[in-house]
Amino acid sequence: MAYISIWTLTRDVISTVFWGIVKLIFWPPIYQFVIIPGLVAALVVVISIIWFERKAAARVQMRYGPLEVSPKLAGYLQLFADLIRYSFQEIIIPRTADIIPFITSPFFALLLSLLPLAVIPVSPVKWTWPLTLSAMRYSVLIAAALTTLSPIFIVAMGWASNNRFSTIGSMRESFLITAYELSAIIGIFSVVATVHSFDFTNIVNFQGGGKWLGLINPIALLAAFIATLISTSAFPFEISDAENEIVAGPFTEYSGLMYGVNMGTAYIKRWAMSVLIVLAFLGGWRPYIPPPNAGYIAGYLVPSLIVSAKAVVVMALMSFLRAVYGRYRIDQALHISWKYVFALAIAGFGLGILEGYLL
Amino acid sequence: MMPAKFVHKKTPKIGVLSSIGKNASALVLGLKYFFEPNRFTLMYPREYIVLDKRYRGFIVLIKNKCIGCESCARVCPTGAMKMVKFEVPNPKNPEKKKIVKYPTINHQRCVYCGFCVDICPTEALYHVPVHDVVYFNLADMIQYVESFQKEPVSPTAAEGAVPVKYIFDPERGLVKVRIKEGEKQ
Repeated sequence: MAYISIWTLTRDVISTVFWGIVKLIFWPPIYQFVIIPGLVAALVVVISIIWFERKAAARVQMRYGPLEVSPKLAGYLQLFADLIRYSFQEIIIPRTADIIPFITSPFFALLLSLLPLAVIPVSPVKWTWPLTLSAMRYSVLIAAALTTLSPIFIVAMGWASNNRFSTIGSMRESFLITAYELSAIIGIFSVVATVHSFDFTNIVNFQGGGKWLGLINPIALLAAFIATLISTSAFPFEISDAENEIVAGPFTEYSGLMYGVNMGTAYIKRWAMSVLIVLAFLGGWRPYIPPPNAGYIAGYLVPSLIVSAKAVVVMALMSFLRAVYGRYRIDQALHISWKYVFALAIAGFGLGILEGYLL
Repeated sequence: MMPAKFVHKKTPKIGVLSSIGKNASALVLGLKYFFEPNRFTLMYPREYIVLDKRYRGFIVLIKNKCIGCESCARVCPTGAMKMVKFEVPNPKNPEKKKIVKYPTINHQRCVYCGFCVDICPTEALYHVPVHDVVYFNLADMIQYVESFQKEPVSPTAAEGAVPVKYIFDPERGLVKVRIKEGEKQ
């Protein structure tokens, strides 16, 4: 009697669907762009980091920060309340705005600031690499190139808004782009000079045994750190959207959810840059070495979580600076970035070459 | 008049090493406050400041001392204090009525400068160390003689908020401390 038991059939269907979903989730482009360290992890981290930033600044400045929304969670739900408020606000599009760039550029900026996360390895296991093997050999180059794409949309936002504050803000942003871009990329590439490889996997494997490149070459790390602060308008360099000088800079005319997206974009870019810094300087997934034929959990989830945890620490450090520093003027920031950060990056690159020769 | 003269101000130059030192000391100070915060935010509805006895808070009238001299109404800089006439029986001539005047305060206008308290020749007005009284409509803020004589009660204190005061600590600066019950204020 040939019949299929209904239970066997159900079990088979459920297991097929389950493993199909698992396979889809852990398919490298989806996993890295959407889940960890992509969109989902970035959103969770951004909300927590904004909360941490406000609480840390409040502690240092003798206040409490967000508290009243949820006193038991120390005001953590304030950010969710803000998110809900933004998503229910009306989106007003000014009559004089250039409508297509006005609407599209926030989302392009958000997506492009996430893109570098989709080309980096977060695990040494080969099947987890999002690019082909030949492309992975240049992953540092590709990731660094992708980080430079999103600022043009911030400039476009300011231009499309047709507002004085937006124009001033996007002009400041374009000044800062030219100032930080070179330092950030040279700072990260000093690692390449030391390891003689454009491959993030080789760079992370080089940093085994506590031999972090950030400890070997702290000058380049400092240059990349400061350049990241400038590029993502983190606090001492929050010049392009300075709230009490020019209302919100390029984001002045935006309202509702689009404003929330704009505010999140800077943090998401900071998150992407932090992940790059972790891979390049702070050992990546390094204390943990997955077995060569590891599966989903040991080979992909755990290393990506280690990378994310390190990047959270880097972001928390960046956020802590808000409590200590005041905002620089645009001329001071350009002075700092051209005169000191660029020199630091060049010095770090020279040190990297020297160490590459010696080590 | 001298014409305005343009002066190009130069920011003082700081060397690289000293600027590194200053940045480091700022970061260390920030870390110190991050790990040992000294927060003195007044969590208002749950805490309230116990004010000094001589605080210029709400003004209260003692009717028996008042002689109706109008000094308070005349000196009031915002016109919050006005005199109101009352007819009372005249003890000497029962057929005629006697007219007396008592002050009335309008809390919409009062700035609590205390001039009326200072000028009162018989000390019929005095301050109460309370400043957070709430009114539900504007008409309540004009206090005639009857309500002017009652001492207002702070709603936060009445609802059992924690009394606090701010003191200067030689090491930590301005500090918020709780006042325990029975402690002398």
